[in-house]
Amino acid sequence: MGIPTIYPTGTTLFDPGKCWSGYTLFIARETGCALVDMNGNVVHLWKGLHGFPTKLLPGGQVMGSLGVRSPKYGFMDYMDVVQVDWDGNVVWKFDQYEYIEDPGQEGMWMARQHHDYQREGSPVGYYAPGLTPLVEGGNTLILGHKDVRDPRISDKPLLDDVIYEVNWEGDIIWEWVCSEHFDEMDFSEAARNALCRNPTMVVGKGEVGDWMHMNSISTLGPNRWYDQGDERFHPDNIIWDGRQSDIIAVTDKESGRIVWQIGPDYDGNQAVRELGWIIGQHHAHMIPRGLPGEGNILVFDNGGFSGYGSPNPGAPTGHNNALRDYSRIVEFNPITLKVIWQYSYEEAGFLPKMNNSDFYSPLISSVQRLANGNTLITEGSSGRIFEVTEAFEIVWEYVSPYYGINKNANFVYRAYRVPYDWVPQLERPDEKEIPKLDRSRFRVPGSVWKPEEGVVEVEGTLPYPGPQLCVSKVDEPKDG
Amino acid sequence: MTHQIYSVMGCARCHITKRFMKENGMDYEEYDIEADGKDAFAKFYRVHRAEIYRDKDGVEFPVYTDGSVIRQGVSVVIGHLVAGNGLDGFIGRSTLHGEWIDGFNISGGDPSRAGDLLKVMAYLKQNGLKILLTTDGRNPEVLKAVHDENLGDRIVMEVKGPAELYEALAGESIDPNALETSIRLAARFPDYQFYSIVAPMIPKDGTVRYLTPEEIGETAKTIEKAAGSKKHPYELRPFDPDSAVDDRLKSAEPLPANAFFKYRTSARRYMVMTQIAK
Repeated sequence: MGIPTIYPTGTTLFDPGKCWSGYTLFIARETGCALVDMNGNVVHLWKGLHGFPTKLLPGGQVMGSLGVRSPKYGFMDYMDVVQVDWDGNVVWKFDQYEYIEDPGQEGMWMARQHHDYQREGSPVGYYAPGLTPLVEGGNTLILGHKDVRDPRISDKPLLDDVIYEVNWEGDIIWEWVCSEHFDEMDFSEAARNALCRNPTMVVGKGEVGDWMHMNSISTLGPNRWYDQGDERFHPDNIIWDGRQSDIIAVTDKESGRIVWQIGPDYDGNQAVRELGWIIGQHHAHMIPRGLPGEGNILVFDNGGFSGYGSPNPGAPTGHNNALRDYSRIVEFNPITLKVIWQYSYEEAGFLPKMNNSDFYSPLISSVQRLANGNTLITEGSSGRIFEVTEAFEIVWEYVSPYYGINKNANFVYRAYRVPYDWVPQLERPDEKEIPKLDRSRFRVPGSVWKPEEGVVEVEGTLPYPGPQLCVSKVDEPKDG
Repeated sequence: MTHQIYSVMGCARCHITKRFMKENGMDYEEYDIEADGKDAFAKFYRVHRAEIYRDKDGVEFPVYTDGSVIRQGVSVVIGHLVAGNGLDGFIGRSTLHGEWIDGFNISGGDPSRAGDLLKVMAYLKQNGLKILLTTDGRNPEVLKAVHDENLGDRIVMEVKGPAELYEALAGESIDPNALETSIRLAARFPDYQFYSIVAPMIPKDGTVRYLTPEEIGETAKTIEKAAGSKKHPYELRPFDPDSAVDDRLKSAEPLPANAFFKYRTSARRYMVMTQIAK
């Protein structure tokens, strides 16, 4: 996406009549955890708090982390998962997953958490009626890292993903190690070959293979599929996704086995071909009961680069062999795989192959279904958070002003909208409409607009036709 | 007495065994089972099938007999040549191939025969093998001798539980000082690991019960106290009913996998690197 040098930040558009209003929570880069109202006012900031992500609990408490392991020795290892009250006091903390001794530093316990966690009571960590996260107790599911070796996957050391559950007292009571289920994942021979040679090496404890790169875990919660007798969708089962493998799967909580899965290939049958390739995805989850679309899978299908498989011109070794230059939000039925709702370049009003990447975040990002049917989208790599109606109208948009200094990018990993009454410490804010500005008239100081001056007529000119693109007129037909 | 060796061409462990016999003036008849000794071994195997061990990779060589006993594997054969049955309990079957050899149980034999054990181990070391030892804490004086002679390359020590529970767990008590000494020595080997089996036991009241998380915590504490640090490799392993000596334990209901997390949490207070074996 081409981004101009100067562009507005904060709330850029707000239609109070069409929004599911509330506060929006996200990590303000290199600043802390920010809570902003619909007009973009930062109404509360937990300064210095980290979070991958942060999540608000009813009563104005927030979950996040106190810090991150040095990137010289760990890759995205958050030291702990904490619960912090409105005043910044740590009221709950877990860090007892692994004892770490990095060179030059005192040994310490770490959670090695990354990308996600869930507090009991809420399947997905965002508002759904009657499914409220517990505040003064309850278990917490945590997505973490574990160093393993597994010659079935690669001869290289692996940075594996692990899901573990801790109780309020801090005891680990359940654990699931991703690599132990490798044989259940249906990798093709070509994928195994590419994966073995390059399991996505990153700098952690030396160079390690971040082979799966899970970025989302949540429970399914009560759902109609289970009510209809489909045991695969037991409310306690965990849905997760692996960015690097393109897999979205459900793990049976009791047996540990993978009981539902799409990916790593999306050409196995007509249903999955019509769903289309999901590439480098984030935040795949089941829409919780009580929200429009409940029971469907909602995912930010990033596009970008991911996967393992046969080499192609964009991936000469078969690593990151799935490539696409736009993102899409997909809501689909987990049984039929039929797409129920989608938001991509077309719905956003962009042209295929020309500016489809104007909605594109190859990394991070998230999606939340709101109670009125709207969808909150975090287009993470450009720091843009926006609310879109079912009919694809953008009714609220916010661009993070927290650019940070350590990377030349305006990242927001994941944002959540929370109801006003989850924050009893604040008076409900006034909401002021921010109409959509006419871009052709929007100027920064010093820039002028005088279209009537210096105009001459040219004799014999014809009207302008529609655009003619240097590409195929229509998109490729779907494989039947 | 005639020494007979059934060997395989290219088998390093057969060569080591034959070299030992030559160096010690023991004449032997050799049958290469891939050459002209093939028929002789086939005949020998038919007669002694029940006494010859074979695993999924086949029969372990060398196979030795003096007409009255049959021994298999370089360490067992040399042990027999050195001490007859004197090293029984110390030296058993090796499950490892290549440069590593195991089957040496420091706590399983008669400590008065330690000199013979060291002689066997020294010979194997001289011939390029790396030795993996096991112990459960008994015979610390033998372990010390092995350590001081630099004969062990890796040791895996089972700490069955706190010393006071050894009798209930293994049917035989242990001197707490011996246990602590062995732990301290094990941690000095080039490579080592401690482990405990979360096992059922029969206390004095006769009621079968599993070790508790607190007792595993005490076990880890024993290791910390003896080895002087919280940072030793320590693994918790599940109980295998087939390995139980007492029939009352064979029917013990296995612990569910999730039960191990409490044991790990308890152990990690004293051994921070505690892992659950898969």
